[in-house]
Amino acid sequence: MSTVPNNLVTGASGLPLQPRRRMMAPVLRGVIWAAIGFLALNTLVSQVDPGPLHSYVNQVSVVFGWMGAVIGWVFGVGAWDAVVKPAFGYPLRWKETVGWRRFFEYSTDHKVIATQYMVASGSGFIIAGIAAMLMRLQLMEDHLWLFSVPQDYLETVGIHGTIMMFSLATVFMVGGLGNYLIPMMVGSNKSAFPRLSGLSVWFVPAGILTVAFSPLLGAWTTGWRGYEPLAASDGNGIVFYYLGVFALLLSSLFVALNLVATIVFRRAPGLTWNRIPMYAWAMLVVSFLNIIWIPEIMMAFVLALLDKIVPLPFFTAVGSPLTYLEMFWLFGHPEVYIVVLPALGMWMEIMPVMSRKTLFGRQWGIIGLIFVMLLSGLVWAHHMFPTMSDVEVLPFSFFTEMISIPTGFAYMVVIGTLWQSRMRLKAPSLLVLMSMFNFLIGGLTGLFLADPMVNMQIHDTFFVVGHFHYTIIGGMVFSGFAAMYYYLPKFSGRMYNEKWAQFGAYWMFLAFNATFAQFFIIGLRGMNRWVPVYPQYLQAQNFEISIFAFLLGLGFVYNIVYILWVWVKGRKVESQNPWKSKTLEWYANPNPEEDNFKEIPTVLTGFYDYSDDSHPIAWDPTS
Amino acid sequence: MRDKALFFVLWLIFSAICEWLASLIGPHFYFYVASVQAQEGQNAAAFILYMAVPIFVFVVMMLLFALFRFRARDDSIQPAKSQIKINKAYVGTWLGLSLVFNLFLFVHPTASAAQAYFNESMAYNKSPKTLIVDVVARQWEWRFSYPQYGLTQTVDANGNDFLELPVNTPVKFVLNSYDYNHYYDPQIDVIHSFWIPAFGMKMDVIPGETRTEYIEPTKISSTTQNQMLRVQCAEVCGPGHPYMEANMAVVSPANFAKWVAQQKKLEA
Repeated sequence: MSTVPNNLVTGASGLPLQPRRRMMAPVLRGVIWAAIGFLALNTLVSQVDPGPLHSYVNQVSVVFGWMGAVIGWVFGVGAWDAVVKPAFGYPLRWKETVGWRRFFEYSTDHKVIATQYMVASGSGFIIAGIAAMLMRLQLMEDHLWLFSVPQDYLETVGIHGTIMMFSLATVFMVGGLGNYLIPMMVGSNKSAFPRLSGLSVWFVPAGILTVAFSPLLGAWTTGWRGYEPLAASDGNGIVFYYLGVFALLLSSLFVALNLVATIVFRRAPGLTWNRIPMYAWAMLVVSFLNIIWIPEIMMAFVLALLDKIVPLPFFTAVGSPLTYLEMFWLFGHPEVYIVVLPALGMWMEIMPVMSRKTLFGRQWGIIGLIFVMLLSGLVWAHHMFPTMSDVEVLPFSFFTEMISIPTGFAYMVVIGTLWQSRMRLKAPSLLVLMSMFNFLIGGLTGLFLADPMVNMQIHDTFFVVGHFHYTIIGGMVFSGFAAMYYYLPKFSGRMYNEKWAQFGAYWMFLAFNATFAQFFIIGLRGMNRWVPVYPQYLQAQNFEISIFAFLLGLGFVYNIVYILWVWVKGRKVESQNPWKSKTLEWYANPNPEEDNFKEIPTVLTGFYDYSDDSHPIAWDPTS
Repeated sequence: MRDKALFFVLWLIFSAICEWLASLIGPHFYFYVASVQAQEGQNAAAFILYMAVPIFVFVVMMLLFALFRFRARDDSIQPAKSQIKINKAYVGTWLGLSLVFNLFLFVHPTASAAQAYFNESMAYNKSPKTLIVDVVARQWEWRFSYPQYGLTQTVDANGNDFLELPVNTPVKFVLNSYDYNHYYDPQIDVIHSFWIPAFGMKMDVIPGETRTEYIEPTKISSTTQNQMLRVQCAEVCGPGHPYMEANMAVVSPANFAKWVAQQKKLEA
C-alpha cells in the first residue's frame, strides 16, 4: 500500500495536509466505534429511564443507541478525521490512500464514492433477492412449511421490499451511476460537495444492515410501507425499519443535493443548459424529486417512530389512521418516478450512440422528464382507492392517466431515434429494448389499475405486484444492467464478451417475463398479497411461478458475477471509447487516482449529433 | 417511405389479429363474475384491454423494426443515413393522440363506470328491499350480523363465521373495524380490506370510520363450489392476515329465508 506523495500541499478539501498518523483499518475502526456508540447511548438512556418493565435494550434506548452506532460508524470510517476535526480548525491529517484500500474508507473522489455506492447497493440487491427467493420457496405450498409462523413470512416480505426500494431502486442509478458519471458528463474534476458526498455513502451499509437485522428486535408484519395503525401495535422490529430507512433516505438526500449543485454549478465552459446530456437531465429532475419528497417522508417516519416508542395515538382510531397512509404515498408515488426516470434518461443516452443517429426530439425528452416530475406529486392517492371514500377517487384517477403522456415522450424520443437508424445490436442496446418492452407492459397494466372500478378488484392482489415489478425490475433493473455493460469499458478498461453478455440478457428477459406475466393472471384468479397461506386452487400456478422465479434469481446472479469477472479479469480494450460516444464521460479519465480531465475541456457543440465523427470538444486522439 | 408503408400495413394486420385475441380474453378477464358490479368492472377492463392493444402492437413493432429492419449488419461504426432531429407531424400526432386517448379513457370507462356504481349505490341505499349486513373486521375475524332479521353473529355448522346472501337482491355492507372483545382499547384494531373476489369490489375497513359497499349478487354458488366466492382480508393486518377468511354462499331467496330461520333458532 502506498500513499499520496507528501509534496501535495492541499487535499481535495483544499485544506493543508499534515503527515498522517498510523491508524487501524477504517472499516474495522468504524465497527468498533459503532459498538462503543451503541453501548454508550443505550446504557445512558436505559439508566435515565429505568422503568421496572424496561429491559436493558428497550424501544427508547435502542433508538438512541442506534444513533450512537451510526455516528460512530460514519466517524470511524474517516469522517472524524476528514470532516469533523477540520471543521473545528484542526489540521487535516486524513490522506486518501491508493489501491484497493481506498474503497474501504472515507473518500472525496466521486469515482471511489460511486463504486462504494454500487457495491453497497448491489449487496442490498443480493440480500433482498435472497428474501424474495425465500418468499417464492414458501409460496410453492399453500400452507406454512418453510416458515413456522406467518410473522416470519411477512417480515421477509417487508425486508425484501424495504431494502429493494431504498437501497437498490432509489440508489443504484443515482448514488452509483449518477455519482460516477455526472461530474465527468458535465466536464468537472469533482462533484460540488465532495466531503458531503463521501459522508453519504456510509449511511447505505448502515441502513441495509439495520433493516436486515430488524428481526432481532421482534417480528414486524406491515410490509415495506409500515402501515398504521398496524405498525403501532406490531412487533418492535418496526423501530429498526424506521431507523434503517431513515439512514438510507439521508444518504439519498445528500446525493441529491450534491448532484443538483454539480449539474448547475460545475459545468465546463460551453456546456450550456441547451447542451446538458440526457442522463444529467434525468439526474437533475430525480434529485429535485428527492429534495422535495425525502424530507416529507422522513417527517412521517419521525412521527410514526414517536407514535410507536412514546407511545402517541397519532395514527390510531382516536387519531387519524389515514394520515400516515396519505403521508407515506405522498412520498411513495414520486418515489417510483425517482426509480424510473434514471432508466428513461439512460435509454436516451445509450440509444443514439448505439444506433448512430442523432437523438430525435431531444427537447421533448426533457419536457417529458420535467412533466413527470411535476405530475408525480398529484397521483399519490391511487395507491389508496379502496381506502378513501369513493368521492375522492376520480381526480387522482385523472392525473394517473394523464401522467402516461409525459412518460410516453421517452418512448417517442427513443422510437424516433431508432427509426431508420443503423442500430448495433450489442448487450446494452438489447437490454434497453428489453427494458422498453417490460416497461410498456408495466405502463399498460397501469391503465387497468388507474380505473377505480377495475382497481377495486385487482388492488392488493398479485396483479398489482406484477405491475410494479414490471416497472421497477423491467424498467430500472434492466436499464441498470444495460448501463453496466455499456460503461464497463469506461469503468474497468475491460470489455465483456458479446455472446456471454447477450446470453445473460436473454436469460433474465425470458425468466422475468415467465415469472411476472403470470402474476397478472394469478392476481385475477384471486391471489391476494401478504399471504403465506392461500386457497388450494392457486397452488399449482404458484408452484410453477416459483420455478421461473428461481431461474430469474439465477439469471441476476449470472449477470452480476459476469460483470464483476469482466471488471477484474476481462479482455483489455484498446480504445477508451469503444462505442464512439460523444458525451464527455467518454473523454474523461476513469482512473480514481487521477483527475477526470487534465485540462477542463471547452464544449463546442451538442453531444447527440451522430451524422459524423467530429468531437464536441477540441480533442487530440493521440493524447 | 417504404418503411413507413410497411410499418403501417403490418401495424394494421397485427392490431387486427391481437384485437381478435383480446376479444377472446376480454370477456373472461375476471375469470369468475358473480355480481352486477363485477360485471361492470369486467366490461371496463375488457374495454381498456381493447384500447391498449393497438398501442402495445405499435411500440412492440417499433422495437422489432429496430431489431430486424434497422439493425446494423456488420460491426463497422458508420452514421445512419437518416439523421432527422425532429418531425413535427409525428410529434404532433403522438401528443394529440395520447391526449385524446387518455381523456377518452377517463370519460369512458373510468368516470362512466364510477358513475354507474355511485348511481347503483344511491338506488340500493334508498330501496326498502336492500339487505343490510353489518360487517365487523377485527384481528383476525370477519363477523356478520343482519340487523333487519335481528341476527347478531351468523355461523356455519362448525361455528365459524358465515355470510349468506340471497341471489339478485341488493346488499349494503356496513363495514367497521374494531375488536368487540377489546372495545376499551382504541389502539387494538387495524385497517382491513373487505374483498369477495367474485363480486369484483373491495373496500378498506378503517378503525374509527364507517364504510359502505353495495353489491348485487347474480349467481347461486358457495365457497365450497368456487373459492373465488370467499370473504378475504386483502390488506395486511398482522400475523393472522392469511387466515382472515370467511366462507359464504349465495342462495335462492327461499333458501335464504330458511337459513335465517335456522340462524334465529341457533341464537335463541
